[in-house]
Amino acid sequence: MKPRPPTMRGKRRYILVRMDPPGLDLDGRELYYAISESLTDIFGDAGVARIQPSVVSCGEGYAIIRCTRSAEEKVIAGLATVAYIRERKVAIRSILTSGTLRSLRQHLDTLRDGQSFPERDVTFQKRPWISVRFRGTKVDLFEKGFKNQERLFLTEDDLEE
Amino acid sequence: MQYTDACVFPLPLGDSSLRRMAFEARELGFDSIVAAGVAGSVYRGIEIIGGTLIHAKETREVQAVLRKDTPQPSLPIVSAGGYSFNRAVIQAGWAKVIREIHTTPRNSFDHIISRMAADKQVAVDLDLSVLIQERGYMRQKVLQRYADLVSLQGRFDFPFTISSGARSILEMKSRRDMIALCGLFGLDREGALSALGNVSRIIHREKPVEVVA
Repeated sequence: MKPRPPTMRGKRRYILVRMDPPGLDLDGRELYYAISESLTDIFGDAGVARIQPSVVSCGEGYAIIRCTRSAEEKVIAGLATVAYIRERKVAIRSILTSGTLRSLRQHLDTLRDGQSFPERDVTFQKRPWISVRFRGTKVDLFEKGFKNQERLFLTEDDLEE
Repeated sequence: MQYTDACVFPLPLGDSSLRRMAFEARELGFDSIVAAGVAGSVYRGIEIIGGTLIHAKETREVQAVLRKDTPQPSLPIVSAGGYSFNRAVIQAGWAKVIREIHTTPRNSFDHIISRMAADKQVAVDLDLSVLIQERGYMRQKVLQRYADLVSLQGRFDFPFTISSGARSILEMKSRRDMIALCGLFGLDREGALSALGNVSRIIHREKPVEVVA
């Protein structure tokens, strides 16, 4: 079968997104279901059929989402309403929209810093925590324990006080 | 223009410290944030504006809160109530921002109060967190209410502010996300950007010209 010529294919837009909190390990399928559910809630089945969302790539805290041209604002709104995936609190933040994958991948190369996240034990508000440091002066605290681990988002300045 | 997230709730009301929220706000494209229950300050170039949230059923409770001595001036944000409450609060100029209008009956903010809010330059806050937390019927009601406010604003030109209502950095939204979410209820890009810049305009409001001699 001959492939359809480019001029007869539907135009697409690609959206680069960042997934927070750092260290989140999501696969493309989970992300797709979360986005699809969120978009269906807002725009309905007919709307999602027109938007045609799909996850092109996903990993290391970033993902690329594909949609039809002129539906990118709807997808960004849908991404902004995703609050939980697998009962974990997440934020999916759109960074850049482009008509080609290549430009997004070039931008993505500048964003990935490949930093490791050093951990150490700290005491905050008279309770023991494990602190994880991220880029800049960001520090996340994980409560020590087996169940219902609380997570706090602080800065180095907060810990030094 | 100074872009502001008009209401966030740092520790102990949420799970993120005020500094981390300010840090995150800068990454999300904001110049300042209004934080509930804190004093104003500046952290790494982000202006933190202290906000006083007032939940009251009667106007005298609002007065009582405003009369209390506060160490630093803060932005008075009053939760909306019934028609007469909203009218009194706006008329008296006690509130600079009215929020949670979606929780009140539809007739509690009509064309008369809209004109009054425009005259007094009292802003109406559009809290985007309810659009994210609610589903189904409740979300539809909020969208309807916000769309109604947008149509009133188009007619009477009272200021809007937009807030993420975030209790965590994960609930904070970027300018880009906020503009897209505002599109759901018919507030266009220019309107949303103008609303994001309204907090600084309200705080540094120019008084009408007075003849002094």
